[in-house]
Amino acid sequence: MRSNMSCVLAATVAAFLVSTSALAHHGAASIYDLSKETTIKATVTEYVWTNPHVEIGISPNGGTTTELLLELGSPPNIRNRGWTSRTVKPGDVVTVTFHPGLRGAKIGVVMKLITADGKELRA
Amino acid sequence: MIRRLVTFSMAAALFAAAACSKPAAAPAAPAHPNLSGSWVRPLGDREVGGLPPVNEIPFTPWAATKLKAERPAAGENQDFANTTDPSLKYADPNGYPRISMHPMRFKLIQTDDYLYQLWEYNQNWRQIALNKPQEPDPALTWYGNAVGTWDGDTLVVDSIGYKDSTWLDSRGVPHTQDLHIVERIHRAGENLVFDLTFEDPGAFTKPWSASLIFRPAPDGTMTETIYTISDELRFRERFLQQKPAIPIRR
Repeated sequence: MRSNMSCVLAATVAAFLVSTSALAHHGAASIYDLSKETTIKATVTEYVWTNPHVEIGISPNGGTTTELLLELGSPPNIRNRGWTSRTVKPGDVVTVTFHPGLRGAKIGVVMKLITADGKELRA
Repeated sequence: MIRRLVTFSMAAALFAAAACSKPAAAPAAPAHPNLSGSWVRPLGDREVGGLPPVNEIPFTPWAATKLKAERPAAGENQDFANTTDPSLKYADPNGYPRISMHPMRFKLIQTDDYLYQLWEYNQNWRQIALNKPQEPDPALTWYGNAVGTWDGDTLVVDSIGYKDSTWLDSRGVPHTQDLHIVERIHRAGENLVFDLTFEDPGAFTKPWSASLIFRPAPDGTMTETIYTISDELRFRERFLQQKPAIPIRR
Protein backbone atom coordinates (compact mmCIF):
# COMPACT_ATOMS: atom_id res chain seq x y z
CA MET A 1 0.00 0.00 0.00
CA ARG A 2 1.33 3.42 -0.87
CA SER A 3 2.05 6.12 1.69
CA ASN A 4 -0.89 8.23 0.56
CA MET A 5 -3.30 5.51 1.42
CA SER A 6 -5.95 6.48 3.89
CA CYS A 7 -4.61 3.93 6.25
CA VAL A 8 -5.61 4.80 9.77
CA LEU A 9 -4.03 1.84 11.49
CA ALA A 10 -2.01 -1.16 10.52
CA ALA A 11 -1.35 -3.14 13.60
CA THR A 12 0.00 -6.54 14.32
CA VAL A 13 -1.41 -8.14 17.37
CA ALA A 14 -1.46 -11.60 18.76
CA ALA A 15 -4.93 -12.46 17.74
CA PHE A 16 -6.54 -15.76 17.28
CA LEU A 17 -10.07 -14.46 17.11
CA VAL A 18 -10.69 -16.36 13.93
CA SER A 19 -13.67 -15.26 11.94
CA THR A 20 -15.83 -18.03 13.23
CA SER A 21 -18.27 -17.85 10.40
CA ALA A 22 -15.47 -18.54 7.94
CA LEU A 23 -14.84 -21.81 9.69
CA ALA A 24 -18.14 -23.10 8.46
CA HIS A 25 -16.58 -23.45 5.04
CA HIS A 26 -12.88 -23.66 5.67
CA GLY A 27 -10.33 -23.07 8.33
CA ALA A 28 -8.72 -19.67 8.02
CA ALA A 29 -5.21 -20.58 9.11
CA SER A 30 -4.02 -21.96 5.79
CA ILE A 31 -4.74 -18.82 3.78
CA TYR A 32 -4.78 -15.95 6.28
CA ASP A 33 -2.27 -14.71 8.82
CA LEU A 34 -4.28 -15.01 11.98
CA SER A 35 -1.51 -13.41 14.02
CA LYS A 36 -2.05 -10.13 12.17
CA GLU A 37 -4.95 -7.77 12.38
CA THR A 38 -5.05 -4.89 9.95
CA THR A 39 -7.40 -1.92 10.07
CA ILE A 40 -7.72 0.43 7.12
CA LYS A 41 -10.10 3.02 5.78
CA ALA A 42 -10.99 2.19 2.20
CA THR A 43 -13.54 2.59 -0.52
CA VAL A 44 -15.86 -0.30 -1.32
CA THR A 45 -15.50 -1.42 -4.93
CA GLU A 46 -17.84 -4.42 -4.85
CA TYR A 47 -20.10 -6.21 -2.42
CA VAL A 48 -21.26 -9.68 -3.44
CA TRP A 49 -23.88 -11.44 -1.34
CA THR A 50 -23.04 -15.02 -2.23
CA ASN A 51 -22.20 -18.48 -0.99
CA PRO A 52 -20.03 -19.77 0.50
CA HIS A 53 -18.96 -16.33 1.79
CA VAL A 54 -20.03 -12.79 1.16
CA GLU A 55 -17.27 -10.80 -0.55
CA ILE A 56 -16.20 -7.19 -0.20
CA GLY A 57 -13.72 -5.67 -2.60
CA ILE A 58 -12.00 -2.52 -1.41
CA SER A 59 -9.57 0.08 -2.65
CA PRO A 60 -7.44 1.77 0.01
CA ASN A 61 -6.70 4.47 -2.57
CA GLY A 62 -10.26 5.49 -3.23
CA GLY A 63 -10.30 3.78 -6.59
CA THR A 64 -13.05 1.86 -8.32
CA THR A 65 -11.21 -1.40 -8.91
CA THR A 66 -10.66 -4.03 -6.26
CA GLU A 67 -7.20 -3.99 -4.73
CA LEU A 68 -8.02 -6.14 -1.71
CA LEU A 69 -10.64 -8.87 -1.74
CA LEU A 70 -12.10 -9.69 1.66
CA GLU A 71 -14.41 -12.47 2.74
CA LEU A 72 -17.12 -12.37 5.32
CA GLY A 73 -19.17 -15.23 6.75
CA SER A 74 -21.92 -17.04 4.94
CA PRO A 75 -25.04 -15.00 4.21
CA PRO A 76 -27.28 -16.41 6.97
CA ASN A 77 -24.55 -16.26 9.58
CA ILE A 78 -23.67 -12.63 9.02
CA ARG A 79 -27.31 -11.75 8.60
CA ASN A 80 -27.70 -12.88 12.20
CA ARG A 81 -25.04 -10.31 13.05
CA GLY A 82 -26.89 -7.48 11.41
CA TRP A 83 -25.58 -7.57 7.85
CA THR A 84 -27.84 -7.44 4.83
CA SER A 85 -27.23 -7.46 1.11
CA ARG A 86 -27.43 -3.66 1.22
CA THR A 87 -25.17 -2.95 4.18
CA VAL A 88 -22.53 -1.42 1.93
CA LYS A 89 -22.33 -0.52 -1.73
CA PRO A 90 -19.60 0.50 -4.16
CA GLY A 91 -18.36 3.98 -3.37
CA ASP A 92 -18.94 3.74 0.38
CA VAL A 93 -15.96 4.65 2.54
CA VAL A 94 -15.65 2.14 5.36
CA THR A 95 -13.19 1.22 8.07
CA VAL A 96 -12.51 -2.47 8.01
CA THR A 97 -10.46 -4.75 10.26
CA PHE A 98 -9.27 -8.05 8.84
CA HIS A 99 -6.71 -10.81 8.97
CA PRO A 100 -4.57 -10.38 5.84
CA GLY A 101 -3.70 -13.11 3.37
CA LEU A 102 -0.57 -15.16 3.81
CA ARG A 103 2.43 -14.67 1.55
CA GLY A 104 1.29 -11.22 0.51
CA ALA A 105 -1.93 -12.37 -1.11
CA LYS A 106 -4.28 -9.44 -1.62
CA ILE A 107 -7.06 -11.08 0.34
CA GLY A 108 -8.33 -11.05 3.88
CA VAL A 109 -11.01 -12.30 6.22
CA VAL A 110 -13.04 -9.54 7.83
CA MET A 111 -13.30 -9.28 11.59
CA LYS A 112 -15.32 -6.08 11.79
CA LEU A 113 -16.40 -3.19 9.62
CA ILE A 114 -17.58 0.33 10.39
CA THR A 115 -19.94 1.64 7.76
CA ALA A 116 -19.91 5.14 6.35
CA ASP A 117 -22.58 6.17 8.83
CA GLY A 118 -20.68 4.77 11.79
CA LYS A 119 -22.42 1.45 12.33
CA GLU A 120 -20.03 -1.25 13.57
CA LEU A 121 -20.64 -4.82 12.44
CA ARG A 122 -18.80 -7.99 13.36
CA ALA A 123 -18.24 -10.52 10.59
CA MET B 1 -98.96 -44.17 31.13
CA ILE B 2 -98.09 -41.88 28.30
CA ARG B 3 -97.46 -39.00 30.74
CA ARG B 4 -95.13 -41.20 32.80
CA LEU B 5 -93.30 -42.27 29.68
CA VAL B 6 -92.87 -38.68 28.59
CA THR B 7 -91.65 -37.73 32.05
CA PHE B 8 -89.19 -40.58 32.06
CA SER B 9 -87.97 -39.65 28.60
CA MET B 10 -87.46 -36.03 29.59
CA ALA B 11 -85.58 -37.07 32.70
CA ALA B 12 -83.39 -39.36 30.65
CA ALA B 13 -82.74 -36.59 28.13
CA LEU B 14 -81.84 -34.14 30.90
CA PHE B 15 -79.51 -36.70 32.46
CA ALA B 16 -77.88 -37.32 29.12
CA ALA B 17 -77.52 -33.60 28.47
CA ALA B 18 -76.01 -33.10 31.90
CA ALA B 19 -73.61 -35.93 31.28
CA CYS B 20 -72.66 -34.52 27.89
CA SER B 21 -72.08 -31.04 29.28
CA LYS B 22 -69.72 -32.38 31.93
CA PRO B 23 -66.29 -30.90 31.32
CA ALA B 24 -64.08 -33.21 29.29
CA ALA B 25 -61.27 -34.86 31.16
CA ALA B 26 -57.93 -33.08 30.82
CA PRO B 27 -55.86 -34.58 28.00
CA ALA B 28 -53.33 -37.07 29.14
CA ALA B 29 -49.82 -35.75 29.44
CA PRO B 30 -47.68 -36.71 26.43
CA ALA B 31 -45.93 -39.97 26.99
CA HIS B 32 -42.64 -38.60 25.73
CA PRO B 33 -41.00 -35.20 25.40
CA ASN B 34 -41.55 -33.27 22.25
CA LEU B 35 -38.14 -32.44 20.78
CA SER B 36 -39.54 -30.06 18.18
CA GLY B 37 -37.80 -26.75 17.93
CA SER B 38 -34.88 -24.89 16.40
CA TRP B 39 -31.41 -25.66 17.65
CA VAL B 40 -27.92 -24.36 17.09
CA ARG B 41 -24.43 -25.11 18.33
CA PRO B 42 -23.08 -22.97 21.14
CA LEU B 43 -20.52 -20.37 20.22
CA GLY B 44 -16.95 -21.47 20.72
CA ASP B 45 -17.67 -25.00 19.60
CA ARG B 46 -17.18 -24.57 15.91
CA GLU B 47 -14.40 -26.62 14.49
CA VAL B 48 -15.28 -30.20 15.32
CA GLY B 49 -18.16 -30.03 17.70
CA GLY B 50 -17.95 -32.58 20.44
CA LEU B 51 -15.93 -35.28 18.72
CA PRO B 52 -12.81 -36.20 20.69
CA PRO B 53 -9.26 -35.44 19.55
CA VAL B 54 -8.28 -37.77 16.73
CA ASN B 55 -5.60 -39.39 18.88
CA GLU B 56 -8.37 -40.59 21.18
CA ILE B 57 -10.36 -42.28 18.44
CA PRO B 58 -9.51 -46.01 18.17
CA PHE B 59 -8.77 -46.17 14.46
CA THR B 60 -8.02 -49.38 12.65
CA PRO B 61 -4.80 -49.28 10.60
CA TRP B 62 -6.89 -48.71 7.46
CA ALA B 63 -8.68 -45.72 8.97
CA ALA B 64 -5.51 -44.26 10.46
CA THR B 65 -3.80 -44.43 7.09
CA LYS B 66 -6.79 -42.89 5.33
CA LEU B 67 -7.02 -40.06 7.85
CA LYS B 68 -3.32 -39.33 7.50
CA ALA B 69 -3.63 -39.09 3.74
CA GLU B 70 -6.47 -36.58 3.85
CA ARG B 71 -5.93 -32.86 3.57
CA PRO B 72 -8.70 -31.22 5.61
CA ALA B 73 -9.60 -27.56 5.21
CA ALA B 74 -10.00 -27.02 8.93
CA GLY B 75 -8.30 -27.99 12.15
CA GLU B 76 -4.65 -28.86 12.56
CA ASN B 77 -2.57 -29.25 9.40
CA GLN B 78 -5.34 -27.67 7.36
CA ASP B 79 -4.73 -27.14 3.66
CA PHE B 80 -7.72 -25.40 2.17
CA ALA B 81 -6.09 -24.79 -1.21
CA ASN B 82 -5.39 -28.48 -1.80
CA THR B 83 -8.04 -30.05 0.37
CA THR B 84 -9.40 -33.53 -0.21
CA ASP B 85 -12.55 -32.71 1.76
CA PRO B 86 -15.37 -34.14 -0.38
CA SER B 87 -17.79 -31.51 0.88
CA LEU B 88 -15.54 -28.82 -0.59
CA LYS B 89 -13.83 -30.58 -3.47
CA TYR B 90 -17.10 -31.93 -4.87
CA ALA B 91 -19.67 -29.96 -2.85
CA ASP B 92 -20.92 -33.31 -1.57
CA PRO B 93 -23.49 -33.36 1.22
CA ASN B 94 -21.82 -33.27 4.61
CA GLY B 95 -23.35 -36.54 5.78
CA TYR B 96 -24.05 -37.39 9.38
CA PRO B 97 -23.14 -36.28 12.02
CA ARG B 98 -20.88 -33.72 10.33
CA ILE B 99 -23.87 -31.71 9.14
CA SER B 100 -24.89 -31.15 12.76
CA MET B 101 -21.49 -29.59 13.50
CA HIS B 102 -22.15 -26.82 11.00
CA PRO B 103 -22.75 -23.51 12.76
CA MET B 104 -26.09 -23.01 11.04
CA ARG B 105 -29.20 -24.11 12.88
CA PHE B 106 -31.40 -27.13 12.42
CA LYS B 107 -35.03 -27.71 13.15
CA LEU B 108 -36.66 -30.79 14.67
CA ILE B 109 -40.26 -31.55 13.81
CA GLN B 110 -41.75 -34.40 15.79
CA THR B 111 -44.89 -36.23 14.72
CA ASP B 112 -46.42 -39.43 16.02
CA ASP B 113 -44.49 -41.49 13.47
CA TYR B 114 -41.35 -39.57 12.64
CA LEU B 115 -38.83 -37.10 13.92
CA TYR B 116 -37.64 -34.92 11.06
CA GLN B 117 -34.29 -33.14 11.34
CA LEU B 118 -34.01 -30.24 8.90
CA TRP B 119 -30.62 -28.61 8.55
CA GLU B 120 -30.52 -25.06 7.31
CA TYR B 121 -27.21 -25.63 5.57
CA ASN B 122 -27.87 -26.88 2.05
CA GLN B 123 -31.45 -27.74 3.02
CA ASN B 124 -30.40 -31.27 3.95
CA TRP B 125 -32.68 -33.39 6.11
CA ARG B 126 -33.17 -36.83 7.58
CA GLN B 127 -36.09 -38.69 9.05
CA ILE B 128 -36.06 -40.88 12.13
CA ALA B 129 -38.86 -43.45 12.00
CA LEU B 130 -40.35 -43.87 15.46
CA ASN B 131 -41.15 -47.29 16.87
CA LYS B 132 -40.29 -49.12 13.66
CA PRO B 133 -37.71 -51.90 13.33
CA GLN B 134 -34.41 -51.17 11.65
CA GLU B 135 -34.17 -52.45 8.09
CA PRO B 136 -31.71 -55.32 7.74
CA ASP B 137 -30.09 -54.00 4.58
CA PRO B 138 -31.15 -50.43 3.81
CA ALA B 139 -30.05 -48.44 0.79
CA LEU B 140 -26.77 -46.59 1.31
CA THR B 141 -27.48 -42.88 1.68
CA TRP B 142 -25.78 -39.66 2.78
CA TYR B 143 -27.79 -39.49 6.00
CA GLY B 144 -28.39 -43.15 6.74
CA ASN B 145 -31.48 -45.07 7.75
CA ALA B 146 -32.54 -44.09 11.24
CA VAL B 147 -35.15 -45.55 13.59
CA GLY B 148 -35.95 -44.35 17.07
CA THR B 149 -37.51 -45.72 20.23
CA TRP B 150 -38.13 -44.02 23.53
CA ASP B 151 -36.27 -44.93 26.69
CA GLY B 152 -38.10 -42.76 29.18
CA ASP B 153 -37.41 -39.16 28.19
CA THR B 154 -34.56 -40.14 25.88
CA LEU B 155 -35.00 -40.94 22.21
CA VAL B 156 -32.64 -43.76 21.25
CA VAL B 157 -31.83 -43.61 17.55
CA ASP B 158 -30.23 -46.47 15.67
CA SER B 159 -28.86 -45.71 12.22
CA ILE B 160 -27.02 -47.65 9.53
CA GLY B 161 -26.83 -47.53 5.75
CA TYR B 162 -24.33 -44.70 5.36
CA LYS B 163 -22.38 -44.05 2.16
CA ASP B 164 -18.70 -44.36 2.95
CA SER B 165 -17.62 -41.29 1.03
CA THR B 166 -18.47 -38.81 3.79
CA TRP B 167 -16.27 -37.66 6.65
CA LEU B 168 -17.61 -37.82 10.18
CA ASP B 169 -16.25 -34.33 10.78
CA SER B 170 -14.25 -31.61 9.07
CA ARG B 171 -10.95 -33.22 10.14
CA GLY B 172 -11.52 -36.17 7.86
CA VAL B 173 -12.47 -38.91 10.34
CA PRO B 174 -13.32 -41.80 7.97
CA HIS B 175 -15.83 -44.63 8.16
CA THR B 176 -17.00 -47.55 6.07
CA GLN B 177 -20.42 -48.61 4.84
CA ASP B 178 -20.73 -50.64 8.05
CA LEU B 179 -20.96 -47.53 10.20
CA HIS B 180 -23.52 -47.96 12.96
CA ILE B 181 -24.44 -44.95 15.08
CA VAL B 182 -26.49 -45.15 18.23
CA GLU B 183 -27.72 -41.80 19.49
CA ARG B 184 -29.38 -40.91 22.75
CA ILE B 185 -31.19 -37.61 22.29
CA HIS B 186 -32.44 -35.86 25.37
CA ARG B 187 -33.03 -32.48 26.85
CA ALA B 188 -30.68 -31.07 29.47
CA GLY B 189 -32.22 -27.93 30.88
CA GLU B 190 -32.93 -25.71 27.93
CA ASN B 191 -30.35 -27.50 25.78
CA LEU B 192 -30.61 -30.57 23.61
CA VAL B 193 -27.94 -33.26 23.83
CA PHE B 194 -27.04 -35.90 21.30
CA ASP B 195 -24.89 -38.62 22.89
CA LEU B 196 -23.45 -40.63 20.02
CA THR B 197 -21.72 -44.00 19.95
CA PHE B 198 -19.90 -45.01 16.79
CA GLU B 199 -19.36 -48.63 15.82
CA ASP B 200 -17.59 -49.62 12.64
CA PRO B 201 -15.28 -52.65 12.70
CA GLY B 202 -13.58 -51.55 9.51
CA ALA B 203 -12.70 -48.11 10.85
CA PHE B 204 -12.61 -48.44 14.64
CA THR B 205 -11.15 -51.15 16.85
CA LYS B 206 -13.86 -50.57 19.43
CA PRO B 207 -16.93 -48.36 19.87
CA TRP B 208 -16.31 -44.76 20.87
CA SER B 209 -18.56 -41.95 21.98
CA ALA B 210 -19.06 -38.23 21.66
CA SER B 211 -21.64 -35.67 22.69
CA LEU B 212 -23.04 -32.80 20.67
CA ILE B 213 -24.82 -30.10 22.64
CA PHE B 214 -27.20 -27.60 21.09
CA ARG B 215 -28.94 -24.58 22.50
CA PRO B 216 -32.28 -23.21 21.39
CA ALA B 217 -31.89 -21.03 18.32
CA PRO B 218 -33.18 -17.54 19.04
CA ASP B 219 -34.95 -17.33 15.70
CA GLY B 220 -36.54 -20.37 14.14
CA THR B 221 -36.66 -18.89 10.66
CA MET B 222 -34.84 -21.15 8.23
CA THR B 223 -33.07 -19.39 5.39
CA GLU B 224 -32.18 -20.79 1.99
CA THR B 225 -28.50 -21.56 1.97
CA ILE B 226 -27.63 -23.81 -0.91
CA TYR B 227 -23.95 -24.17 -1.66
CA THR B 228 -22.94 -25.50 -5.06
CA ILE B 229 -19.75 -26.56 -6.80
CA SER B 230 -19.93 -23.32 -8.79
CA ASP B 231 -19.88 -21.39 -5.51
CA GLU B 232 -16.81 -23.28 -4.37
CA LEU B 233 -14.91 -22.97 -7.65
CA ARG B 234 -15.75 -19.31 -7.96
CA PHE B 235 -14.49 -18.67 -4.43
CA ARG B 236 -11.28 -20.51 -5.20
CA GLU B 237 -10.81 -18.60 -8.42
CA ARG B 238 -11.20 -15.27 -6.66
CA PHE B 239 -9.38 -15.91 -3.40
CA LEU B 240 -6.80 -18.52 -4.36
CA GLN B 241 -6.36 -17.82 -8.08
CA GLN B 242 -7.25 -21.42 -8.85
CA LYS B 243 -8.53 -21.92 -12.37
CA PRO B 244 -11.90 -23.73 -12.34
CA ALA B 245 -11.55 -27.28 -13.62
CA ILE B 246 -15.03 -27.16 -15.14
CA PRO B 247 -17.24 -24.37 -16.44
CA ILE B 248 -19.01 -22.65 -13.59
CA ARG B 249 -22.02 -20.43 -13.13
CA ARG B 250 -21.09 -16.81 -12.59
